Amino acid sequence: MPDELKFENCSHSKDPLVGCALEGVATVLAGIRDVGIVIHSPQGCSATVALGYDHQEIDFTQRKTACTRLFETDIIMGATDKLKDLILHADKTFGSKVTFVVGTCAADIIGEDIEGVCRVLQPKTGSRLIPIFAGGFRGDAYAGMDLALEALVGIMKDPEGAGGTQGARSVNLIAPQASLNPTWRADLAWVRDVLARMGVAVQSVLTRDAGMHELRHASFASANILLSHDVGRGMARKMEEAYGIPLILADQPLPIGLGNTSRWLTALGERFGAEAAARDLIARGESLVVDVLRRRGLMIIPRYRNCRMALCADATFGVGLARMLFEELEMLPELILLRSGRPEAKALLAAELASLGISPQVACNVDGYQTRRALADSNVHAVLGSSWEKYLARELGIQLAFDVLSPTDRDAYLDRAYFGYEGMLNMLEVIANDFERALRSKEIAWENYDPQPAPERV
Amino acid sequence: MTLQPVTHTPDSISDSIVFHGPLSELYRLAAEGKIPTRLQGSHTRPCKFWTAAKILSGIRGAIVLTHGPGGCAFGIKQAYKLTNCRNSGAVYEPVLSTSLDQSGIVYGGEKELKGAIAEVDVKYSPDVVFVATSCATGIIGDNVDAVIESMRGKVKAELLPIHCEGFAGEYRSGFDLVFGELVKLMDAPTPAERERLSKSVNIVGAKMGPERTEVDTDVKELIRLVTAMGARVNAVIAGNCSLAELKRAPSVAVNCALCLDIGYAVGTAMRDTFGTPLNSTILPYGIAATEKWLTGAAEHLGLVGEAKALMRAEYEAIREPYERAREHLAGKTAIIEGRDAIKSLSIAYMLQQDFGMRAVIYNFHPWSVEARETSIDYMLGAGLDPEILITKGALAFGKYESMKQTEDELLRFLGELDPRQTVYFGSSLSFPSIPLVDLNAILNRPRFGYRGALKVAECIKTALDYAFRPRSALAKRIVFPENAGLSSAASLTPKLAQDLPDCTVYAGARRRGQCPMN
Repeated sequence: MPDELKFENCSHSKDPLVGCALEGVATVLAGIRDVGIVIHSPQGCSATVALGYDHQEIDFTQRKTACTRLFETDIIMGATDKLKDLILHADKTFGSKVTFVVGTCAADIIGEDIEGVCRVLQPKTGSRLIPIFAGGFRGDAYAGMDLALEALVGIMKDPEGAGGTQGARSVNLIAPQASLNPTWRADLAWVRDVLARMGVAVQSVLTRDAGMHELRHASFASANILLSHDVGRGMARKMEEAYGIPLILADQPLPIGLGNTSRWLTALGERFGAEAAARDLIARGESLVVDVLRRRGLMIIPRYRNCRMALCADATFGVGLARMLFEELEMLPELILLRSGRPEAKALLAAELASLGISPQVACNVDGYQTRRALADSNVHAVLGSSWEKYLARELGIQLAFDVLSPTDRDAYLDRAYFGYEGMLNMLEVIANDFERALRSKEIAWENYDPQPAPERV
Repeated sequence: MTLQPVTHTPDSISDSIVFHGPLSELYRLAAEGKIPTRLQGSHTRPCKFWTAAKILSGIRGAIVLTHGPGGCAFGIKQAYKLTNCRNSGAVYEPVLSTSLDQSGIVYGGEKELKGAIAEVDVKYSPDVVFVATSCATGIIGDNVDAVIESMRGKVKAELLPIHCEGFAGEYRSGFDLVFGELVKLMDAPTPAERERLSKSVNIVGAKMGPERTEVDTDVKELIRLVTAMGARVNAVIAGNCSLAELKRAPSVAVNCALCLDIGYAVGTAMRDTFGTPLNSTILPYGIAATEKWLTGAAEHLGLVGEAKALMRAEYEAIREPYERAREHLAGKTAIIEGRDAIKSLSIAYMLQQDFGMRAVIYNFHPWSVEARETSIDYMLGAGLDPEILITKGALAFGKYESMKQTEDELLRFLGELDPRQTVYFGSSLSFPSIPLVDLNAILNRPRFGYRGALKVAECIKTALDYAFRPRSALAKRIVFPENAGLSSAASLTPKLAQDLPDCTVYAGARRRGQCPMN
């Protein structure tokens, strides 16, 4: 890894920018249609599970959760009976096909036998009970997503045993939600559209609005594609071992910016014998970007040329944006701070930077302190990241902050892709508007007027 | 208050009523265990850790170091600190964590905590470090107090342990715990300091940090009134107060409770420890409550004359429109959503005292009777005993805010009232068949003080004036989607869940996806 930043006094204390494993687990489970979730935990953990539903934007009328609300005596005496009662109650009330019974830190540590409870109660419930241990100490949200995704492999059907065959032109899309695009659903839609144009079917999306049938038949796909550089490799590896499904396109950046999108589409086309479709998508897409920027964004590149940038993202966007910023927008990504840091993603970023011939300062798994420290020590003109980095930039006197990623201060009513060609334009639109807001007058300069008119309303 | 007779018909509201009577009666039944006061598994609230952290987030120059997995720190940072940056002009505020992993759980995290305290002291140079325990470290039994003791003197910051494991109490207990612990940071008054602060007050019972910069908030209004009376505010505890302000806080002339329940905890702790007087009234909604609040403060400040002059001037400034609006209100009935227990009690107090209205609090969950004992005592002590109506839906599994059952029940209750004589105090996401007043709308601030009283009176009058306008069909379709399933808003984020009305969304075979109230 080129010029990796080191930070002092960060061995024991962390100002986290990523949630815990429970949030990750919930983000995956909330992507499964018509499930109930029984949370075996103190009541606060319900809010964490709610974040998973929020991230999937599940309508609040469709959320079926219940919590055992553990208190001190439950921790001391155990709360198996309480859990059993709640499972039966939830099963009767929710009528879900599947109920996930999720143990969080407290239940996990005191050793509640969630698996045993599910086994014993299974004959008495209409829904299938699936236990998951999701103690927050098991890792961060990315680790939690992996935990849940890998648990799902266990419910998949063996194609051979089921007498079926794997489709030659079908893929599973893994971990679309592990993304800092606040409307990541649009990225998934873009990938689906591209696949459709290449004649490739989507077997399962793991997970987004996935039915149980879809999940169980994910093992019938001919390939797995990750939509994240941070999550999903464990699941893909397990599926490869169990069902021989190869993971494809994992060794290159996701389709962010012109160059990466072209490479990704080309590789996809080659994999499925759809080279012509890929070429057509690339030609049309690049034409769209050029045409729009000629008409509406002529200054988008000259304005920021050689702008020294800090890029604060997850690996999914960090890896891809490095090339887009440097090669296509002529910016200088001098500081790259990733909230995540899987070895495969770090290697991919290193390879990208080497191929670009640049050596920015890089740090992975950064927390809030490290982000602040790195920004304060840098000499950047602008920060591209989330609202966290926007506030830090304001505090540190960095004039420009492009609030592109989650959490964002931006209200987005319509889903907007960041992948692909329109996705690139969507990000550039945010950058352009944030630039205008930063540098244009916000108030009337009354001191320029004599006499100064008094405001009519106070 | 005399209860209004209810006509009992086979399909009337009486079939669904769990309790209908005065607050005092509900209080008695709860105390005797004759009405269930436990929340259902689907009725979750923030845990003790979250509420403790909310108060701790209101102290400037402090670091909250959570001892446990990182998710607990991330959650409160996302909820409180991001909001402070966004709305209240705060700088980026970290929330630290020892980020315990599995080996920390197995082998203990005391070493990590020790290291973290040392690191935090160097990295942030805070005035004080609050070490907040989580479920995980509470269960594995890390000796947090001993670790902190061993670090005292080795770091510049003051250290205070906060034992707020999420399982260790109801959500309200986190507020009380922290307010009680903060007193340990305070200095005993000296005669000189008492003299210096003899015309100062603390406003106690705030939480989370600075006020919104762009909104005329309730706390700003109280500060304006205190200042106009000729006094000063030393600290809003814990609303962006510093350690220095906390230290000298016991020397002020009086603590004025912002929220009776939450302010009461710190107010009584300071009174018992340092003898700092406490002016504790119900939330100052309306003129009667505001005058009690101001008079109570003025008596300790020696500014009774100034307070009277201020009250006259403040009332004079609103008199004409206020009295005009009030004429429309006397004798009318208000149904008040009981989800926020303190607020519903305070609104009931205002409506009865100021406007001469009949107040009925709808679905004041019996759980609140235990959790909000202080406010209830105050109401009853003041001779006010509002009507409480609790229906079966409030106690059903699901989310009581969002059950079809409660909506049906409310409709039937309203069906027996005259819509021209009744207003509904609740969320704009509900669609009662009577005029609705939403005091949570951001434009309806401030709600405290005289200006607040006028605002509330005008809100009620406006609701009645425009009662002829049907609620937006668009709004109804947004809130009541077609093909809605069984609701379980329990899993909404706390913020959104709080915005939901008592009767939002539901499943049901009969009128699925429709609001039965229209």
